[in-house]
Amino acid sequence: MSSGGADYVPSKTSGRLIAIIVALLIVTNVITAVGVYYAAAPKAAVVPVQVIGPWAGDAIKNPSSEWGKFKPVLDKFTNDTGIPYVYTPTRQEDLSPTLPIAFQAGQSPADLIFMPSATIKQWAAKNWVTDLTGTIGPSSYQAGALDPLTASGHIWGGAYTGKVKPGFWYNTTFFQANSWSAPTTWQGFFSLLGSIKNSTGNPPLMAGDGVGWPLSDVVEHFIETYGGASMHKALANRSLSWTDPSVKSIFQNYLVPTLTNGFWTAPTTWDNPGVTLWWDGTNPLYFMGSWITGMVPNPSALGVFPLPGGVANQGIVFAADYFFVPKFGAHQDLAKRLAQYLASEPAQELQVKQGGHVATAANVPTTAYPTVDRNVANLLSGKTVLSDLDDTIGNPFQGVFWSQLQSLWANPGTWQTVLTNIQTAAANQP
Amino acid sequence: MNRREGGPRPRLLPSIPGAGWILRRLRSQATFVAFILPATIFLIVLVIYPVVATLTLGFVGADGQFTGLDNFATVIGSKQTVNADCLQTGPPCGTLINNLIWIGLHLPLTMFMGLFLAMLLQRVRGAAIVKSMIFLGMVTPLIVIGTVLKFILEAPIGLVPAFFGSIGIKGLAVNWLTSNPSTLLFGLIMGTVWSWTGFSMIVYSAGLTTIPKDYFEAARVDGASEWQVFRKITWPLLKPVTLVIVTMTVLWELKLFDIVIGATNQQGGLGGAADVLALQMYRFFYVQDYNHAAVVATLLTIFTFVVSISLFRELLNLPRHKRRLLRARAKPAEVGTDSPQATIAPTGDSP
Amino acid sequence: MTSLVDREPRRRPWKLPFRPRTILIHVVAWTVGLAWLLPFIGVAVVSVRPLSETALGWWNPSPFHLTFDNFISAWNNPGCPLSLGLRDSFFVALPATIIPMLVGAFAGYGFARFRTRTRDYIFLSVVLFMAVPQMMVAVPVYNLMIALGLISNLLSLILVHSAWGIPWIILFMRNFFRTLPEEIEEAARVDGASDFKIFYKIVLPMALPAMAAVVVFQFMWVWNDFFFAQVLVQKSDWFLSTQCVPRLSGQLAHPYDLLSAGAILTMIVPVALYLVLQRFYIRGLIGWTIKG
Repeated sequence: MSSGGADYVPSKTSGRLIAIIVALLIVTNVITAVGVYYAAAPKAAVVPVQVIGPWAGDAIKNPSSEWGKFKPVLDKFTNDTGIPYVYTPTRQEDLSPTLPIAFQAGQSPADLIFMPSATIKQWAAKNWVTDLTGTIGPSSYQAGALDPLTASGHIWGGAYTGKVKPGFWYNTTFFQANSWSAPTTWQGFFSLLGSIKNSTGNPPLMAGDGVGWPLSDVVEHFIETYGGASMHKALANRSLSWTDPSVKSIFQNYLVPTLTNGFWTAPTTWDNPGVTLWWDGTNPLYFMGSWITGMVPNPSALGVFPLPGGVANQGIVFAADYFFVPKFGAHQDLAKRLAQYLASEPAQELQVKQGGHVATAANVPTTAYPTVDRNVANLLSGKTVLSDLDDTIGNPFQGVFWSQLQSLWANPGTWQTVLTNIQTAAANQP
Repeated sequence: MNRREGGPRPRLLPSIPGAGWILRRLRSQATFVAFILPATIFLIVLVIYPVVATLTLGFVGADGQFTGLDNFATVIGSKQTVNADCLQTGPPCGTLINNLIWIGLHLPLTMFMGLFLAMLLQRVRGAAIVKSMIFLGMVTPLIVIGTVLKFILEAPIGLVPAFFGSIGIKGLAVNWLTSNPSTLLFGLIMGTVWSWTGFSMIVYSAGLTTIPKDYFEAARVDGASEWQVFRKITWPLLKPVTLVIVTMTVLWELKLFDIVIGATNQQGGLGGAADVLALQMYRFFYVQDYNHAAVVATLLTIFTFVVSISLFRELLNLPRHKRRLLRARAKPAEVGTDSPQATIAPTGDSP
Repeated sequence: MTSLVDREPRRRPWKLPFRPRTILIHVVAWTVGLAWLLPFIGVAVVSVRPLSETALGWWNPSPFHLTFDNFISAWNNPGCPLSLGLRDSFFVALPATIIPMLVGAFAGYGFARFRTRTRDYIFLSVVLFMAVPQMMVAVPVYNLMIALGLISNLLSLILVHSAWGIPWIILFMRNFFRTLPEEIEEAARVDGASDFKIFYKIVLPMALPAMAAVVVFQFMWVWNDFFFAQVLVQKSDWFLSTQCVPRLSGQLAHPYDLLSAGAILTMIVPVALYLVLQRFYIRGLIGWTIKG
């Protein structure tokens, strides 16, 4: 090194320091490269089929969790075919933004994915979905089960099991202790709410939370009861406006009075503590889907009644879970085999045995259902089976619908604005 | 600052003075280019080109046809962006208005709380620990901050509703995130105040240490009150620091994304009450409506530039170099104008 | 209001060890500090207790059971295991810190030491890019990465974060280099050292503390990013830890226990880094010209 610097003596460690930096750079990048390569390289000779579904939970510690009930079905698939699976639970709320981003890039995070029917059809129109015509067909299903997934003669996905959303659930023990009973008229319902509120001092109706779906289920129930199945269908195919006087009158005469009279709790995290507070009688009425049968300590004490009164031809929502095979999955063949299996009677029978689910496949024997679910199935009689309204229309309407209903619950006085906003979203839905 | 502005001197000067000057100049140019080349490549490919591409996307339709300002009109005219009804009915007010409300509340609150804390902590033992406690919100990932806000604002797990319940204000003893658009919006704003105050506190603290102690002593000897000292000495000398804080804070408020999506969802929660521009852009993006996404992004960029231009002028004072040196003779101002320089970068960019 | 100094000369008949005002200031400051910490304390408490005990308020003291199950569940969460998320965050953050640090220091030196007619304009435009929001580049960067086949590849994030960090690092390093005395370099130059040799033999070693500040700051910023990751990484094997946090929620359930553990695991790295290297972090935040 030179010695020319007037007051600077070059540090002897400078070379070492540079070496350290360069080494750091190389090491970190090598680690990353090796790590990326190692993790990206196939680990096993047997290729698993990758599944994304909405059911989360700890299957081992809690077999009654949603995933705990679905796992046996996938295990059976692996047993029967020797094809292993990788299951990733992801909220559909998280999937609806990220899947389009992946598909547009020609990628898919999984081979078979559960999504609402409307979304599947939207994505089919963008050429992102594998045509399953020929792989699965209506013959193995109950009538109409595949209709939401059929477009111009092609079947874009399969229906799995589903849930019914029949009405308000209650703890019969608690009701008997207070000598309350299921109402048979709207007036009776309204005065029941009043007397419960007087007696407990709390709002009688538990309002679930989450992203908004419990509220939309309630609203659909009001519509299909007091507007009938036809109104529900008309709103779903958007031939009827949400600001139509017939729709408005349901809000004005039925739903909004329950809100303005303080009969609803503030939206509460629906499962914990929602279910707990409902079951212990703090807020003793809860509108939920039939999955609730699997969530109470004593299902035999469970009672349910639909909204009383109403028009002649009422509907009841049956919300199936739908799956599809994305075009960009790595293992189309495996995914199709799994799709075939999930559409089949044995798979769905195994699922409904765990409770809380209703099959869409044909020929599932009623004996496969737990008692409480058999009673739920009876609620379907005499009513038109409808698919979930917002699932049918899909996003972005669904997101607006949910958040508008949240603001309705917060400010019932603004119900007209809420309806206008919902109608705007419905009209703008492609 | 006795820095010489001359370029590097080649050791051997060529014999012809004119050619030497040119050669030296060329060599200096070439070395300069070599030094900035790697950075330039990165910036051109991953920043400059994308910015230009986004700009052009905003002026065309999905089919690539030029549409003028149509996309801008659609976005600004939509209720999602500006909802005039909110004057009568309260939130949701639209993304643009929400960003403005955020600035209007969050900026003064964080600024003055930060200043207050910085001055308070000057005289406190263990101030470093207290500062770290307050600053924790600044080093935590923003998506985690969004999640933490759930733990504060949701009932019954949250402390805020429980607190209002215990002092008997029933209207606020609710789930702040889901029961009312107003509590959602203001709850989140307060949450961001909580997480960001550490920034202004730390920067003000650093600014305070640069004010010579004898300024205060002299003022007190002259019989000035605390308030007068603050008004006449502290506040004016902190002005350059304040400029940095204001700019950085507004930039941060405009780019809000993680906290809102973490505490609510892609819709900005409850009726879109906490919706912000960045979130709106993301929604357009994932439904492949790139043109409208580009419009929202462009609007955001315009706002950030308007906000940062005064700061950049102040701290770069390029190319009016000499004027600045003159001004800088007043010592404290010199400290102030220099201090922002590095501050701007990290926080301004951080998502 | 009279100042402290005014009151000083008056002697009191009795003497407190501290002035009441000093005590008041300390009480206020520490109360504010603890209040600020409260939300994090809440999350920490929820993370180490079963949800059944905390769902109605984490401050309820009984029953109280200490458990690490929440951390184990978050670590192994099937939807987005934090074990992979943290690994991927490191994979991105390390190179995305080192690369822009070197590139930025290099360019910063160029801006600090070489005069050309266009230098100041180039510099100004580089610095202006610091104000650009990430949303402004999202769509073209996404399309570019599709074209390069790098979607869901961590390399895309490394590249984008490197580019995104370069402007502020240039500004920061330039300001630092300008505080270094030029005489040393001049002397070396007279001795015939080339510009690059001078840079890495003389300047860079002197810049190590500045680079430490850059490392701490850039690492945290990359680690904390969520937006770019959401745009560029779509496969669950490659999700970063920040992407995992919202994904710990179930479709129907709202698992505070998992969320709290995931939040703690994700924030622990930047927080630990901050606590250890606070000096450098603050320097990165404040800049070099404020001394103290």
